[in-house]
Amino acid sequence: MKNCLSITGELRMARETSTSELFERFNVVAKEIKDEHNAHLWLIEVFGKRHSYVAGCKEDSFLPPEVIYINKRFAVVSSDWDRIPLEKKEEVFSLVRDFCN
Amino acid sequence: MLAVLTKKERDWVESVIKDEEIVKYMENGRDFIDDDDIWERLQRNTKPDKNRIRDIIQKSLEIQTLEPDETASLLNIEDPDTWHEIFQVAKEIKRKVYDNRIVTFAPLYCGDLCVNNCLYCGFRRENVVIKRRRLGLDEIRKEAEVLAGEIGHKRLIVVYGEHPSTDAGYIADTIRTIYDVKVKTKNGYGQIRRVNVNIAPMSVDDLRLLRDVGIGTYQVFQETYHHGTYKRLHPEGTLKSHYQWRLYCHHRALEAGVDDVAIGALFGLYDWRFEVMGLLYHARDLERQFGIGPHTISFPRLEPAANTPFIQATNYRVSDEDFKKIIAVIRLSVPYTGMILTAREPASIRREVLPIGITQTDASTKIGIGAYSDRYTDQEEDRQQFLLGDTRSLDEVIRELAQMGYITSFCTAGYRCGRTGDRIMTLLRTGREAVFCKLNAVLTFREWLDDFASPETKAAGEQVLKKEIEEIKDKLPQNVYEKLLEYYRRIEDGERDLYF
Repeated sequence: MKNCLSITGELRMARETSTSELFERFNVVAKEIKDEHNAHLWLIEVFGKRHSYVAGCKEDSFLPPEVIYINKRFAVVSSDWDRIPLEKKEEVFSLVRDFCN
Repeated sequence: MLAVLTKKERDWVESVIKDEEIVKYMENGRDFIDDDDIWERLQRNTKPDKNRIRDIIQKSLEIQTLEPDETASLLNIEDPDTWHEIFQVAKEIKRKVYDNRIVTFAPLYCGDLCVNNCLYCGFRRENVVIKRRRLGLDEIRKEAEVLAGEIGHKRLIVVYGEHPSTDAGYIADTIRTIYDVKVKTKNGYGQIRRVNVNIAPMSVDDLRLLRDVGIGTYQVFQETYHHGTYKRLHPEGTLKSHYQWRLYCHHRALEAGVDDVAIGALFGLYDWRFEVMGLLYHARDLERQFGIGPHTISFPRLEPAANTPFIQATNYRVSDEDFKKIIAVIRLSVPYTGMILTAREPASIRREVLPIGITQTDASTKIGIGAYSDRYTDQEEDRQQFLLGDTRSLDEVIRELAQMGYITSFCTAGYRCGRTGDRIMTLLRTGREAVFCKLNAVLTFREWLDDFASPETKAAGEQVLKKEIEEIKDKLPQNVYEKLLEYYRRIEDGERDLYF
């Protein structure tokens, strides 16, 4: 019989594998958006006040970017929201939302 | 607290170290500090010629981490004129990477219970003269209210002994408590926006817990990098006696997703040249394995502590002159890193060494447990880990910094904007971070002057702000300058925590 620690370890591994998938898929979409619309878009993971970049095309522009919180864990950030078509934005938000559900 | 461990403490001590979280980072079963090799390098790089020193300086100015032989050469300089040149270069590098801003913070000691028995430490278990205490969450809240609401700090380094009563769960609770504090101030509100921690080495799982509550930097000092000295000063059987568990704690933090880590050595335990080499090797190994070097490096000198005779007996006391050399060589060796000078040092030393590379300092410092809300003004040996050299208020320190031409920054933006880990490394190496530093320094200094400054400090601060804003207008794109002005006006109107 497995002990609690190994079950926790397996759960974490499963969670990390699916997180990697999200990051990979986000990278693909962000790259497309950058190529097609010349807009930088990236994903951050929220740990309290700490916002860690985890995927996408980050631009360290001097102008503050706009953060859109998808849920408690993730937010999508861009300085170029006005250049991204509505349907593309929705595709990105859905990608993150679906992963979390 | 009993001099002998209780069963509960013993069980806890036995559960902490996880060998598999050490060996995975080692190469061929060895750690990255080879004592003999360090001494050989120090010996074979004596009397470096001027051309070699010039080449090393050039590399530092390009914000590249030095090779061990290069740092060894700097440590062996004997000519006073060459040292003078090194101090000037250190100053230039600091300006290039961080501009003229100095970040301020305060330490907050939450507990002094400890299972260890380190010979040089006032909080060692067998030191019976220390009053032992762990702050409750209400007490922590009161401390944070004074720090954020009366002094005006925005950044803390929170310190804990290594003990089951101050384990990762307790630390996480204290951090949440501190972040929840919000205090009305004269023109806005005060809040602690970044909680850094100075804590014992932890497992990856415990570090993930701290990451999840949003810690800023994870700071652990190796104390001494020399294996033999480490063994002698940390009695066998104590938790802290495990050299590699400590040495690789930053590696574990990076693996856990805490991507701002801080290293340091306690100068006075062993030869200072060796310790600087140790710090360099540490930075290089983090860079090699994770692509992320230390967010900051600290270099505290041993200070007197209650009933701790080791401190008077050490043969490795660092002179003021050598202290200055330590700072300059670290600045050149790991040019991108932040460097912390604390109130351990007296005001006169702080004034002298600050220009040669310091990026962060503390003020209004109290290190007694519960000392901020107790409002005691004298230092009390039996409730402090050591004695401070500088007890000036934040207002006095800021005024002096302003008179020296520095802008005090309360910026905590970086880790809230994803400018951490390898991303900030790139920004630091390219000088772009200096721009963020300046913009955020202006905004946070405005907040502090409006909320907390005395009339004299406000007057000195206004002059600095005027000059800084002019410089931004001249050097940065018009849209950035306009955004700064917009934020600046909103802060003057009472808004808080706007940042780039």
